[in-house]
Amino acid sequence: MLVLAACGSTADQQTAEAGAGGVKTDKGVTDTTITLGVMGDNTGVFKNLGAGLNAGNQLWADDVNAAGGICGRQIELEIVDHGYKADTAKTLYPQLEPKVLGMVQLLGSPVLAALKQNLIDDQVLAAPASWSSEVLNNPSIMMIGTTYDLEIVNGLAYLQQQGLLADGDTIGHIYIDGEYGGNGLKGSQYYAEQHGLTVREAKITSTDNDLTGIVTGLRGEGIKVLVLTTTPGQSASALAANQALGLNVPVLGNNPTFDPALLDSPAAGALGNLYVAASSPPFSSKTPKAVEVATEYKQKYPSAPINAGVHTGYVEGMVWQAVLEKACESGDLSRAGVATALTTLTSVKTDDLVTELDYSSPGSPPTRGVYIAKVDPAAEGGLTEVAPLFTAPEAAGYKAPYQQ
Amino acid sequence: MNTFLQLLVNGLGKGAVYALLALGFVVIYKATEVINFAHGSLVLVGGFLVYELKDTLGWVGAAVVGIVAAALAGLLIERVLLANARAADHNSLALLTIGVDVIITEEVVRRVGADIPFIGDPYDAQPIQLGAITIFRTQAIALVVGAVLITAFLLAFRYSSWGVAMRAQAENREAAALMGIRSSRVTATAWLVAGALAGVAVLFIATQDFSGAGLGRGTHAIALVAFPAAILGGLDSTAGAVVGGIVVGLTEALSAQYISFEFSKSAVFLVMLVVLVVRPSGLFGTKELSRV
Amino acid sequence: MSDTLVKPTSPPAGAPPARRRNRLAIAGGAVLLLVLVLLPVLIGNEVAYLKVAQYILIGAVGGIGLTLLVGQAGQLSLAHPFFLLVGAVSYAVISGEAEAGLVGLGLPPVVGLVGAVLISGLFGLAFAPVAGRLRGIYLGVASLSLVFLGLWLGQSLESLTGGTSSGRTPPNFELLGFVFANSQPAPTILGIAIQKQQRLWYLFLVLAVVAYLLARGAVRSRIGRAWRAVRDNEAAATAMGVNVTRVKAGAFVVSSAYAGLAGVMTALWLDLVKPDENEFTGNYSLTVAIAFLAIVIIGGLGSVPGAVFGAIVVYGLQQFFLLGANEFGWFADAQFGGLTAVVLSAFVYGAAVVLVVLFEPGGAAAIGRRLLARRTNTTDSRTDTAVPAASGGRERSPERNDDDPRA
Repeated sequence: MLVLAACGSTADQQTAEAGAGGVKTDKGVTDTTITLGVMGDNTGVFKNLGAGLNAGNQLWADDVNAAGGICGRQIELEIVDHGYKADTAKTLYPQLEPKVLGMVQLLGSPVLAALKQNLIDDQVLAAPASWSSEVLNNPSIMMIGTTYDLEIVNGLAYLQQQGLLADGDTIGHIYIDGEYGGNGLKGSQYYAEQHGLTVREAKITSTDNDLTGIVTGLRGEGIKVLVLTTTPGQSASALAANQALGLNVPVLGNNPTFDPALLDSPAAGALGNLYVAASSPPFSSKTPKAVEVATEYKQKYPSAPINAGVHTGYVEGMVWQAVLEKACESGDLSRAGVATALTTLTSVKTDDLVTELDYSSPGSPPTRGVYIAKVDPAAEGGLTEVAPLFTAPEAAGYKAPYQQ
Repeated sequence: MNTFLQLLVNGLGKGAVYALLALGFVVIYKATEVINFAHGSLVLVGGFLVYELKDTLGWVGAAVVGIVAAALAGLLIERVLLANARAADHNSLALLTIGVDVIITEEVVRRVGADIPFIGDPYDAQPIQLGAITIFRTQAIALVVGAVLITAFLLAFRYSSWGVAMRAQAENREAAALMGIRSSRVTATAWLVAGALAGVAVLFIATQDFSGAGLGRGTHAIALVAFPAAILGGLDSTAGAVVGGIVVGLTEALSAQYISFEFSKSAVFLVMLVVLVVRPSGLFGTKELSRV
Repeated sequence: MSDTLVKPTSPPAGAPPARRRNRLAIAGGAVLLLVLVLLPVLIGNEVAYLKVAQYILIGAVGGIGLTLLVGQAGQLSLAHPFFLLVGAVSYAVISGEAEAGLVGLGLPPVVGLVGAVLISGLFGLAFAPVAGRLRGIYLGVASLSLVFLGLWLGQSLESLTGGTSSGRTPPNFELLGFVFANSQPAPTILGIAIQKQQRLWYLFLVLAVVAYLLARGAVRSRIGRAWRAVRDNEAAATAMGVNVTRVKAGAFVVSSAYAGLAGVMTALWLDLVKPDENEFTGNYSLTVAIAFLAIVIIGGLGSVPGAVFGAIVVYGLQQFFLLGANEFGWFADAQFGGLTAVVLSAFVYGAAVVLVVLFEPGGAAAIGRRLLARRTNTTDSRTDTAVPAASGGRERSPERNDDDPRA
C-alpha cells in the first residue's frame, strides 16, 4: 500500500506512515523506489565539474540498483539544472522538493545560501558539492570530505615539512570573495597564527581572470608560498604570472583550483609549481575503488570531460547509501528518520575514496585528512599523488567556525 | 619602484587594446550617433571563428577570416536591422543593439560550450625580460598593432574621401547629403571598420597574458570596460578614444595595486563619472547644444 | 495626443466610444483581478508556479519604475539593479536583528519596507545631480557605474549586506501581528492552505497593484505632464515654467523608490539578501540592468501596463521554461552545449527587443491600443507612425505611451 498523500509544502501535515517491510516513510520513498534529488550545473560556470558530478551520482545509482537497491527499493535520481544561479534554484526547488527524500548533490554556494532555510524547514538532507565549514551550522547539510580551511592547513603543513616554507615567512593568498574563498582564507590565517607567518590577502571575484597585477604586487611583498582559492582559469593566470614574472614560488591550491583542461591552455608550461590539497584522491589514483569508478565512467561517457567531479559524485552516493541503510535498519525512511540516522554514523567508509567520515558531532567537519597531488601532464586527469592521506597536527587542533 | 614600473607596463599594454575597442564605438557614433551595445558580441564572433578555424587554416589564416567575419557581422547588423528601422531615432537603435547583443553572446557562449578557447598561440606566454621588468609579448604586440592601426585610421580619417565624407556627415547630416555624400555608404563603412577593429582586438583579449582567460563571457565583459574609455574620451573624438583607452588601462592596473583589486573595476567607472560631471561630453567630445 | 482623454470629469459630448471603452476596461480589470486573487487556488499545490508568478510581480514593480524614468521622463538608466540592492539591504538592516557582526535595528517589517523604499529614493536623489547634467546615452553609461559601485559596496560593507559568502536572512514580513510565514494551523481558501508562499503572493499582489495605480496616477497628473515636457524639450519646458532640474531629479527619485520596493520583494522572494559575487550573474548584476531595459522596451517606453507585460515576457518566460524543462523534459540535450531554458529565454527577449524597435516602437502598449481601438470601432484617426525613443528624442511624436488611459 502506497501512502504518499498530496504533501506539497502547502499541505503541511508531516505524517509518516508505514510502508513496505514495516518501514516508516514520508516524501520521496515508495514501496519500490527511493527518489533523491540532484541540483546541479549543466550550463553555468561550473558545467564541467557539474557534468562529472552528475555522472558520478548516476554511476553510483546504477551500481546500487544492479546490486538490488537499498532497503528493497531502487534508487531514482531526479536531476535539475540551475546553471549556478540562486534565483533559478529558488524556482526549481518547490517543484523538486515534494518528489524527493533528500539531495544527493546540491552544487554551488550561492544556491546553498538561498535554499538554506528551505532545507531546514522541509528537513531535506543535502550533500553539498561545495566544501565550506561555514555552512555546518545547518543540520540539513551532510558534508562529504573535508572543508576548504582544512585543505589549506594541511597543505601548508605539507609544504613546511618539505622545507618549502619556514616559520616567520610571508605568504600570499588569492581568494574569491564568497563562501569558497573566505573559508580557504581561514585556513591560511589559522596556520599563519600557529607559525608566525604573515599573510598578504588578495580578494577577487569569480569572473576576474587576469591575476598578473596581483602576482606583481605579491612579488613586491617577497612571498615564499602562494595560496590559491580560485577557479581553474584563475589558477592558470596566477601560475603563468608566477613563472613569467620570475617569482617561481610553490603554489598551494584547494581541490577546485585545478581542472585537467588547463593542460591544454597556454599556461600548461607553468603548472608545475601547483600542489593541490583534497580529501578525495586524484582521478589517476591507484586506489582500487577509484580505478573501478574511472573505468566505468570512461565506458559509459566516452566523450565527457575527465575531472575530479566523477569520484566526488560517486562518493556522495556512497555516503547516502550508508545513511539510508542505517535508516532502514531503524525502520524509518522518513526525512526525520534519515536525519537521525546521519548523526549516529561515526565511521562511514567509502573504499578510501575519502577518509572515514564521522557525523556524530554537528558543526565539525566529518574528516580532516587530505591527499596532496601535483600536476603531471602524463597522468590521467592531470594530477599525480605526492602524499597519501594524512592529517597534520595543526589540522587536528583547528576549531571550525561552528564546531561545538 | 619595480612594482610600479611593471604595473605601468601592464596598464599601457591593456590600454592599447581598450583604445582599439573604444575606437570602434567612436567610429559608429560619429557616423550615426548610435552607441553600439553589440560591440562585445562582434568581438566574440571574430574570436570564435579564429578558434574554430585555426587548426585547419593556421593561425594567420584564421585571424584574417576572424577579422573579416567580425567586420561583415557589423555590416550585417547595420544593413539588415538598423538601416530598416528608419522610423526609430538613434537612441532606439542603441537599444536595438542590446537585443542583438543578448542573442549573439548567448549563442557564441553556448557554442564554445565546455572548452576554454585561447586564441593567441603565436605570441602567448613568452615574456620578454628587461631588467626587473617583464614585458608580455601579447601586450607588446598589442601596443605596436594598436599604434599602427590607430595612426592609419587617423590618417585615413583626415585624408581619404571616406574620412572626409564621414566627418562631413558627423558635422551636419543634411548639408552632407546636399553635397552628394551618400549617407548609407558612409554609415555602412563605419560599421565595417568598427567590426574589423573588434576582430583585431579579440586576438589579444582571449589570451593568457591579457585576460588570463580564453574566449567566453569575460571577453564580452572586456568590451564593456572599453565603454568608459570611449565615453570619457568623448564619444565623437577619435583622439579621445586613444586617451580614454590608456586612462582606463592605467586606472585599472594602478588602483588594483594601490587601493584594492575589487575596487579597480568600480574605479574605472568612477573616473568616467567624475570626468562626465565636469565635462558632460567627455574630455574631447563636442559639447551638445540644446536647440530651442 | 488627445488631452481630453485625461479629463474624466468633463467627458466631451458625443464620445460614446470612450465611455464604452472605459466600461470594457473596468470589466476586464475586474476579471483579471479576480483571477489574480484566486491564483493560489488555481495553482493548487504546484507552488513552483506561484514562485514564478511572484517573480513576475517583482519584474513588474521594477519595470514600472524604470518605464516612468526612461519613457516618461526621458532619462536612460541602467542603474536599476543598484537601487534594488539598496532596497533589499535597507530592509534587512532596518528590520533584521543585530547578530554575528551584522547591523540590525529590529524594527517592525512594515517600517523596514517603507524605510527601504525611502532610502532607495534618497540614493536616487543623491545621483540626481549627476543625472541632471547628462543626456541620453551618456547618462545610460554613466548610470552603469552605480552597478559596479553596488558590487563593490556589497562586498565591502559586510556588516550591512552579510557579505557575498552567505549573505543575511531578511526577516519574514509581518503586518499587524500576521506573519507571512508558514503556520499551524493555516487559514484556507477553497481547500488550499494559505501558507508562506500564498501569503507572499497576496503581499506582492497588493504592493504591485498599489505601485501600478500610483504610477498611472502620476502619469495622468501634472507630474506626468511635467516629465513629458522635460523629455520632449527642456528649453520649451523651462519657458513654460517647469523647473527642469527639480522635475528630472523627481523622476529619478520615484524610479529609484520603485526599484527599492522591487529589491525588498526580491529579498522576501529569495529569503536572502546576498550581494553578487560578480558583475554578470546575480540579482543585482548587469544582466538584471539589461533585463529591466528589455522589459521597458518590449512593453513600450513610458507605458505602465506595458511594463507589466514586459515583465511577463522577460521575468516570466525564463522561469516558465525552467519548470517546463524539468516537467516535460524540454532541452534534454542541454548538458553538452544544447539549447537551455536560460539561453532560449534570452533569445526570445533579445529578439523581442529587436522586433519592437524595428516594427513597433510603441511596444506591446501600442499593439494593445490598436487592438482595442479596432474592437471598439473608435473614430479616432490615429496614424501609426513610429515613436522615437524617449530618451533625448527631440522631435514631437504623433503617438506615445503617455497619458492615454488605454496605454
